[in-house]
Amino acid sequence: MDIDDILREVDPTFHAIPQEKRDLQELTRAWIAERCAPELLPWPANGLFERIDDNIKRQIEKVEEMTGDMDPKTNFALIVIQTELERYRYLVRSYLRARIAKIDRHTLHYLSTDDLRSRLSEMELAYATHHQALLHNHYLSSFLSSFPANLQNLNDASAGISMIETPDLESAVFIRVLKNTLVQGRGVDTDDAVESDESDIMILRWADAKPLVEAGSAELV
Amino acid sequence: MALPLPPGLTHAEVAFLAEMELVTVVPRQRLESIDLLSGKTPTLRPPHRADLPLWLALLLKKQRRANILPPAWLHPDSLRSILLHETKLDPEAFSPPPPAPARADPARPGLARRQQQQQEQRESGGGVTLSAPFLASCTADAPAGYLPYHWLEVAEAMLAHAGDDVAASLGSGSGGSGGGGSGSGSGSGAAGEVRGLLRDLVEVRAAKMRSSAAKLEGFGGGLMSLRGVGAMELAESRGFVLGVVDGVRKIGASAEAARREEEEERMGEGVDEGESDEEMGF
Repeated sequence: MDIDDILREVDPTFHAIPQEKRDLQELTRAWIAERCAPELLPWPANGLFERIDDNIKRQIEKVEEMTGDMDPKTNFALIVIQTELERYRYLVRSYLRARIAKIDRHTLHYLSTDDLRSRLSEMELAYATHHQALLHNHYLSSFLSSFPANLQNLNDASAGISMIETPDLESAVFIRVLKNTLVQGRGVDTDDAVESDESDIMILRWADAKPLVEAGSAELV
Repeated sequence: MALPLPPGLTHAEVAFLAEMELVTVVPRQRLESIDLLSGKTPTLRPPHRADLPLWLALLLKKQRRANILPPAWLHPDSLRSILLHETKLDPEAFSPPPPAPARADPARPGLARRQQQQQEQRESGGGVTLSAPFLASCTADAPAGYLPYHWLEVAEAMLAHAGDDVAASLGSGSGGSGGGGSGSGSGSGAAGEVRGLLRDLVEVRAAKMRSSAAKLEGFGGGLMSLRGVGAMELAESRGFVLGVVDGVRKIGASAEAARREEEEERMGEGVDEGESDEEMGF
């Protein structure tokens, strides 16, 4: 404990955000972003999901311990804990499902370069590679094998047009500005740049919004 | 199919988010602090107020363990002034969102500092900026005269499950303040008035959302601001608005490419001062 901690304790205006609340904010933001963005976003690198996983496991153990206790007073606390647990798990589940839906849609795209691969978590990478291999083998055994050998690939780019479908990075999104910042957007007739204030809500293309979202000065809504 | 939902939050998901908003309750029973995943709940000791997430407040309300204190912006006077702002003062844009809460700055007595800035300064680095459902914009301390992001969902939930508390909080305030005749019938008088005003607000703002679609028709620029819009209103028109913007982009794609090429040429002709505009690189 250094002098800063002591000062912080006696400072009546200091409202440090507790870790649990910060995790929930981050999880919620990640979920909304994943539901709204047209492409797969990087897997959070700061150990957020390991922490959440541990917390959920601990909470489930607590629920199991408390279930034996039939005292109506603690019983109500149990109901609250279980309700919250279900809400929390819904967030996690929906987040993971949104990601898998995107991976399923453009599997080969996300497996094509190392940069894109690094957005997937370990589990997701394993899932994507296996699923893709199974699918390709199935295609091969059902119809691709009767094609000439040079037409049996799924990632052919020989005619200048790649076979791999990619998400549309130019599609429009809504963002909320979190810090006063310059927002630039490209349009059909003109390019705009607006000095925008906190809690402004904007429509612009995802490709223009991406740097702002990654820098944390805006979030998807 | 891993997730059979279109991109963008649906109504149900927005309502789920709104249930995370903090609201103020007045407990009627003692309840020890509960260790939840999102942090410990405050110990409830009647008659001390406490801030809880809406879902928990509704649970307590249903079990008659607490009463909910409606936020100041849900008061008919506040709603009426917002409605006036929406219709008369600024018939084009939405009314502004609530300002970030400010606090006295201990380092410089007499000056106020906004809370977000404080947090950023203190934990620059791994700090997280709080936003919509986690800002205390629906507690009893929230300022009157501004609609927060989840205004419609929170107001609906409060009227549906704690209508008596909304009415009770008005009991002393606006006894005979005209009324305007919009709140006809449903529920007790005061809650009915709130309901009527909310309905008016929904209609005024829906009209604005529709008229912004007219602006979209000639959407040539790259940005459009919808400052002050609510979560439900976004969810309502998300598919349509984004569809129009994407459609305009696809129709104008060749014109846009031609314009960019032209601009690039012009930049090339001029003495190489290309670094003044970074966007040319695209």
